[in-house]
This record gives sequence, structure tokens and C-alpha cells, in this order.
Amino acid sequence: MPRNARHTASPSRSDRTSRALGVLAVLTILVASDPAARAHIVPPQQLHPVATSYRRIEFLLNLNPIPWDSVNLDLATIAAQLESFDAAGADDLRKLGRETLARVASAAKSEDTMLAADKRRLIAHRVLSRTTRTVARAIRFDLDTARANLADYSSASDHFERARQMWAAFEPAIEAAQPAEFVRLGECWLAMVSALGYPGLAGIGARQPDTATFHEESGEIVEYLDANFIDQVGTQTLGPTLARLAPLPGVARDAYPPGQRLPPGFNVNKQIPRPRQILGMVTRGVDERETPLIALGDMAFDSALIFGEPARSLAITCNTCHNKGVTNPNFFIPGLSRIPGGMDVSNSFFGAHANNGIFDPLDIPDLRGLRFTAPYGRNGRFDSLREFTRNVIVNEFSGQEPEPMLLDALVAYMLEFEFLPNPALEPDGTLNDRAPAAARRGEALFNRPFANMAGRSCASCHDPSDHFLDRKRHDIGTVRGAEPDSRDRALDTPTLLGIKYSAPYFHDGRLATLAEVVDWFNDRYSLRLTGSQRMDLSAYLETVGDGVEAYEDTVYTLASELEEFDFFLSPYELLVERGETNLIDTTFGTIAFEIRAHKWDVQDPANLPVLDRLAGLMDRARAALAAGDLSTTDRMVNEYRALYRSNAGILE
Amino acid sequence: MKHSKTLSRIAIALVVALGGLMACGDPTPGDGEQAATGEPLRIAFIAYQNPDQLLESVEPVAEYLETAIGRPIKTFAATDYAGIVEALKAGTADVGFMGPLQYVIAHQQSGAVPILGEIYDGSPTYLSKIFVRKDSGIETLAQLEEKSMAFVDPLSSSGYLFPLETFIESGLIASRQDAEKFFRKIYFAGGDEQAIRAVLNKFVDAAGVGQYSVRLLRPEEREQLLAIAESRPIPSHCVVVRSGLDPEVTTALQTALLALNEGEHHGLLKNLYAVDGYIVADDDTYAEVASLARKNGFLK
Repeated sequence: MPRNARHTASPSRSDRTSRALGVLAVLTILVASDPAARAHIVPPQQLHPVATSYRRIEFLLNLNPIPWDSVNLDLATIAAQLESFDAAGADDLRKLGRETLARVASAAKSEDTMLAADKRRLIAHRVLSRTTRTVARAIRFDLDTARANLADYSSASDHFERARQMWAAFEPAIEAAQPAEFVRLGECWLAMVSALGYPGLAGIGARQPDTATFHEESGEIVEYLDANFIDQVGTQTLGPTLARLAPLPGVARDAYPPGQRLPPGFNVNKQIPRPRQILGMVTRGVDERETPLIALGDMAFDSALIFGEPARSLAITCNTCHNKGVTNPNFFIPGLSRIPGGMDVSNSFFGAHANNGIFDPLDIPDLRGLRFTAPYGRNGRFDSLREFTRNVIVNEFSGQEPEPMLLDALVAYMLEFEFLPNPALEPDGTLNDRAPAAARRGEALFNRPFANMAGRSCASCHDPSDHFLDRKRHDIGTVRGAEPDSRDRALDTPTLLGIKYSAPYFHDGRLATLAEVVDWFNDRYSLRLTGSQRMDLSAYLETVGDGVEAYEDTVYTLASELEEFDFFLSPYELLVERGETNLIDTTFGTIAFEIRAHKWDVQDPANLPVLDRLAGLMDRARAALAAGDLSTTDRMVNEYRALYRSNAGILE
Repeated sequence: MKHSKTLSRIAIALVVALGGLMACGDPTPGDGEQAATGEPLRIAFIAYQNPDQLLESVEPVAEYLETAIGRPIKTFAATDYAGIVEALKAGTADVGFMGPLQYVIAHQQSGAVPILGEIYDGSPTYLSKIFVRKDSGIETLAQLEEKSMAFVDPLSSSGYLFPLETFIESGLIASRQDAEKFFRKIYFAGGDEQAIRAVLNKFVDAAGVGQYSVRLLRPEEREQLLAIAESRPIPSHCVVVRSGLDPEVTTALQTALLALNEGEHHGLLKNLYAVDGYIVADDDTYAEVASLARKNGFLK
């Protein structure tokens, strides 16, 4: 947490802003628990709205399909920001938004299908080039104004600060395409901050503006803007930003280079408190260190290294979406998610080669009780969990073909995911007397056949005696088909166990509460349930979907994470015996990465060096493995284990 | 950039004082509550960004203090420290929140005194650290000679005064003016995040910033940095009252804020810059800051 952001004395605007951002970030992440416990939860980088929207537009324009409505919203955001000082630019962006939507609609109509790739790219190019030029001009305007007003610190620093914040729109593109320029220009901005002068506090610490330096440094920025973002746009010479647009049609982009960023507005942080995970064999008193295949699966579930780019660099793992084998209601990526807690898994970003070209985000399913819930996928497209898992790795997240043992391990691990215990439920799925009266009245409704449901009841599909599902696919009217009589609307019946903790609901997460689900069925099938009946049915769903201790009661997770890394390392001997070098490498790499990600949660900073040493041992083991030096590899593993064991108590 | 120029004062009117402060809504208690009576206690908060948002967030604190102290509370948001210092000096605010260096300046200007220090991460002090990139090969302060250095701003405790002192204590420089010769370039980045990102992005070789700045970075970004030195402990931010404020009111305020350290109102601290709690402080707490400020020409 940026506490130090307040420990400065400056009245300068730039400083104020940075501190404000820091403190706001603090307030965002601090809700009711100790900040140290969640230090690994990083607040999103705070950017000026123009930079936020520009960066998002750049990301969105590279998707297929492009979410044009979202692009238009971001154009409107930039326009609103520019309105007060560049009304013409603001008007132009609004016009651009309108024209773009019209063009897209017209092109799609004329082709009677999705927007063809060449037209999509042309429109995207036009949107990005005009937006780029407008933002660049706005930055130039503010820099010019600051330069002309250096004698008036307040005015100069206001304009300068806005220019600097808008410049952040272009930074990722410049850093990626022209790293040396990125550094040179970064220094220019730093030099300008100092050259602005400083009013001090009650006159103390005041500095006069350095006009010559400010002119010189701002001149460098303006020259760069003109050359790369203003004059060249629309010509054949693409500036760094336009160069980042997807390749021309016909050139497949099947992999992103490392270093991709997610667009502003994303949230891939895990939940705090963590969902409580129940592994079947652990519940029975088994030590995970003695179940190497399961431990290997546990590691792989937490590993971005089993995926390809861009997921790998972005540290996306199975656990990112299925926190502790459950869900992640916070997960959101603009352009890929419609609402938090879901994502289009056949998208052009994480798995361009396997993109289906349709924006069809799915709610992240809860994986508790997975061994009972086949088939897999919201539409039940995979009967086998192994095949489903392989598809996630290879196609959804562009990973290499996994070793058979890796797939076996992931499946073995996930088959241990247990449902939450629910004392209100009998083994046959009926409610017992621990259930509230409303829920028991709701149970009768749940089992009642309805004429408008062809004589079936809710329980016909959500069979209480079989984990509240029937392993069949049904069209209940939640999917819009490709054409009027197409048969592409059926979805797999989901279990109702644990649903109290897996909102939102339906395959696309369109309904926020179980009460809304009841209302939806009541309307869809004209069930004519009274208000109190609907409440009873909701109470039934809440009761069936409940469970004991759904979340962990502590927010301190470092000790348990470190113990988990000890589990991750436990299959080492087996992997050596089997000659699974790649899996050993993945294990070392995953442990090192995870320690570094979580080490910031340490409560006593004096223990940080221990964590660094642990991670360092995994680095060295990995290097020795790569060099074929197995004795050193062994030694590093043993040192790691010894170091962990001698410090496990301290790190509690 | 040249920094060897005389630090002459800029003739910029800091039009702040009360005119630059934003008042919160009338803090009259609602019907049925025991009305706090007497002169309102006027508290000036520093708003780092959105004054309206700040005032909204401190409203529950004001309500609590009204009940605890038995006087109406009027809250203000100043968008810079100068506003608070001027308001305390002019007697238009009774209480202000500020950093250590601002306090010692305010004390000299108006006789304002601190009554409480903030506790953060369990400590009433914090550190300034000198960060470099791990891959720079730099491991000692001495290796920063002829390198570029980013500080936060010229009136920052953890982002200038204390890291500068770290160099002085190491014997590498003798004074603030000396720093201009030691480093190839000195930049004031304008904020902690800007300063630490300047190192991360290789715009500069090192930065002197508060210890918590790294928390603004993603874990993989933090891993790229190394702290090669740290300052002596810096007393944390403080709650300051104006000269001449009724001692009874001062004591009541001190007691009420200390009571937030635990108990049913503890949650209000998240609205007070998310501190862990408060500890009693006085002018002596900031003696070392004052001494450094004097040595560097910030105090007479």
C-alpha cells in the first residue's frame, strides 16, 4: 500500500495527483482486513480517463469480433475529457463513433454475415488513427499552454500534468515498439517536472521555472508527437500505436509475443477471503505429499507455464478463474467479459487460432464436486474431463500439447474437489428438519409437475437424488440460436449444490440472484407462482445451494501457500524417475513465480530474505536442470526443502 | 537540467487559506440526537484528489467526533498542504492533517503543535529507501556517483530530505548543494509512483522514495528493483492543532482519536487515510525532522 504517497510535502499538482491515486488505491483495496495480508493484491494502475480509454480502444480493436459498442463508449469518454479545451477534437471523436457504428452495421448487413476481416481492419485502422491524432494534439496543446504559462505555476502545472497523464495512453506502444525512444522521452518528461519550478510551502523550498529546459524538453515531445502520431497517421508509415493493430487479413496471428498487457478495467485478482477448498483425500487425513499425481495436478492448476502466450506472461492460471477450485466473481477483462465472473473462452486474445469469431462469454463455473457433474462445458460439449482440460490448455490458452502425465495429474487433482457439506440435505437430496420452513415449502414446489413444463418439475432435470442434475442438455430458451429453427440452443443441466456461492447465474451469468432465477422460470413457463411461492422456491435454492464454511476464515494466506509449494515439490522424485524433465521445469518455475508473487504478504519484512532464498533455490534448480546437471538439481531441491522446513514455523 | 540555481522564492500567490478550502455540508446533528454545542471545531483534511469524495468519506468520522467531543465539527478539504498551513496560521482551521516536514514548517510559521502521530503497518515511523534496478549492477550508494537520481519533490520527507541525509551520512556528499555535483542529474519526479516508475523504466538510475512505494507496482515489477540503502526512521504523518486552541478541546480530540485504535469505531480509521491507529506525539517527536529541515535551509 502506498502509504508513503502521503509522506511528502509538495503542493505541486503532479505530486498531489500521484498521492491521490495512491490513497484511492489504498481505500479501494482496504475494506475490513489487514492490509499486510493482501499486499499481493495489486490495485489497478490509475490512469487519466483519456489514457484509460485509449489503451482500451487499442486492445478492443485487436479483438475479433471487435466490440464496437465498447469502442464507441470509450471514444465518448475521451471526447468528454477533451470537450473543455478541444471542442473540435471532441466533436470529431463523437462523429467518428457514430460513423463507425453505422459503417459496421452497413458492412455487416451488406455481407449478410459477420463483418469481413478486411473491412474490420480498415475501420479499426481509421478509428485508431483518428483517435491517436486527436489525443496527440490534446497533449501538444497542453504542453504548449504549459510552456506559455510557465510564469503562472498553477496554470502551467495543471496543463503539464494533464499532458503527462494523457501521454500514458501511448506509453505501452512506444515501450514495445521503440524501447530506446521510450526511455529518452521518459527522461524528457522528468526533466520538465523539475523545470516547471516549485512554489514551495509558504515560500519555503520554492524554485523558479527553468524556461530554457522546459522549452527544450517539451520540444522533443512535440516533435515526436508530430512525427509519429500526428503527421504520419493515415500514411503508409505507421506510428508505434498503429503498428500494434492486428496484421493484415490473411496473416494469421497465432501467438502474441510476451509482455502483452490487459486493457484498463481488468481484474484478475483472486478473491479474499479465499473460498474453502475441500480435497477428498485430505479430508480423509491423507498428506498431499504422499499423493504425487494429485500434488502435480495441484501445481499445474496454479501454473501459468502450462499455457502459452499471452496467458503465460499475464500469469493466468486455472486458479485465476477457479479460485481454489471454485469460481472468481471478480474476474473481468474488457472485450472478453460481459460482466464480472465470466469470459468468452473462444476469443482472439488468449487463443487466436481457436477463436470461434463470436462474442459468447460464459459464466465461470464452480468446480466443486466435478467428478459428479459430467459432461463438461456449459453446453456439455466434452464427455471427458481429460479432453475438456486438454482443450483449455491447448486451444483456449494456446499452450503446448500437454504431457499425458500432466493431464492425468490435473484430472486426478480436480476429481478430489468435493462439494461443501450441507447438513440440511439428506443423502438422497431431500431436505431434513434443519432446513427452514420456507425452504421445505419450496421443496414441494420444486418437485411439483407443471403442465407448462410438459408435466415435468424442476426436479426432473435437477434430480435431487443425483446431485441435482440429469447429465442431459436441454433448450430452456436462454440461448439465441443462429437461425430460427436451428438446434444449437441446448445447455448442460448444472448442479444446484453450492450455488449460493457461485452467483451470477445461467450460462452467461445474466441473472444476479437466485430469486431472479425463480422469476425467470416463472415467466418463461407461465408457472403462475404467487409471490410467497416464489420466495419459498428461492429459499429452497438457497438452502440446497448452501454449505458449511464456504470461505476460509483467515486472510493470511502466506503460510498455507508455502505449504502448498512444498506439496508442489513432492512429486519431484517421481518425475525424475519417469524422466519428465519438462514437468520438473514447470514445477520449479511455478514455485519460484508463486513465492515471488506472494512474498509481499509476509507479515514480518525480516523474513523476506528467506522467501527470496527459497525462490532463488528454485531458479538455480531450474538452471541446473536445463544444463543437465542433475546432482545440482537434487541438491537445490534438498536445500529448498530443508530451508522451508526450518522456517515454516517462523513464516506462520 | 540545472539545479544549482539559487533557490529564490517564486512570486506565486498561494491563494489558499480558507478561500482555498472546501467546506463540508452543515454538520448540524440530526433530530433526536444530542446536539453538540459551542463553537465548531474546524478540521482541515488534505485531499489528494477529489475533495468532495474525501469530505464524504470523513463524514462518519466527523459524526463520531461530534458525539465524542461534544462540539459541532466542520470539515474542510484542502487540495494542498499550503492551504492547511495557512489556515492554521490564520486561525481559520483548528486541526490539520499533515506530513512531518509540513508540520515543522507549520510550527515555525504559526506555533501549531502535533497531538498525534499515525501508526502504519504497526509502526509510528517509516523509512525512505534508495531503489535501483537489480540488473543495473549497482549495489552501493557510492556507485551512484555521476548517475541520475529521482527524488519525489523538494519538500518531501521520505522523497528528498531523508534520502538526501542517507547520502550525507554515508559520507558521499556533505550537503544538499553537494548532491548537485555528486549526481549526473537530479530529477524531481512529482510523486512517489512517478519516481519509482522512473527507475523501473530506466529513465533514471536510482530513486529515493518512501518504503511503501513498491506496493504501487505489480509483484513482477517489484522484483526488478533492489533497495540498496534505507534512511533512519521518519516519524509518520501527524494530527496538528493550531496555536491557542482550547487545551480541553485538544485533549478531547486526542482522546477521541486514540479511542479509534480499538473497539467499535475502529473501522472509521479506513476513512482516515487507512492508518492502523494513532499514538501521542508532540513537537519533540519531530525534532530530528526539524533539525534536518534547518540544516537543509527549509527552516530558519
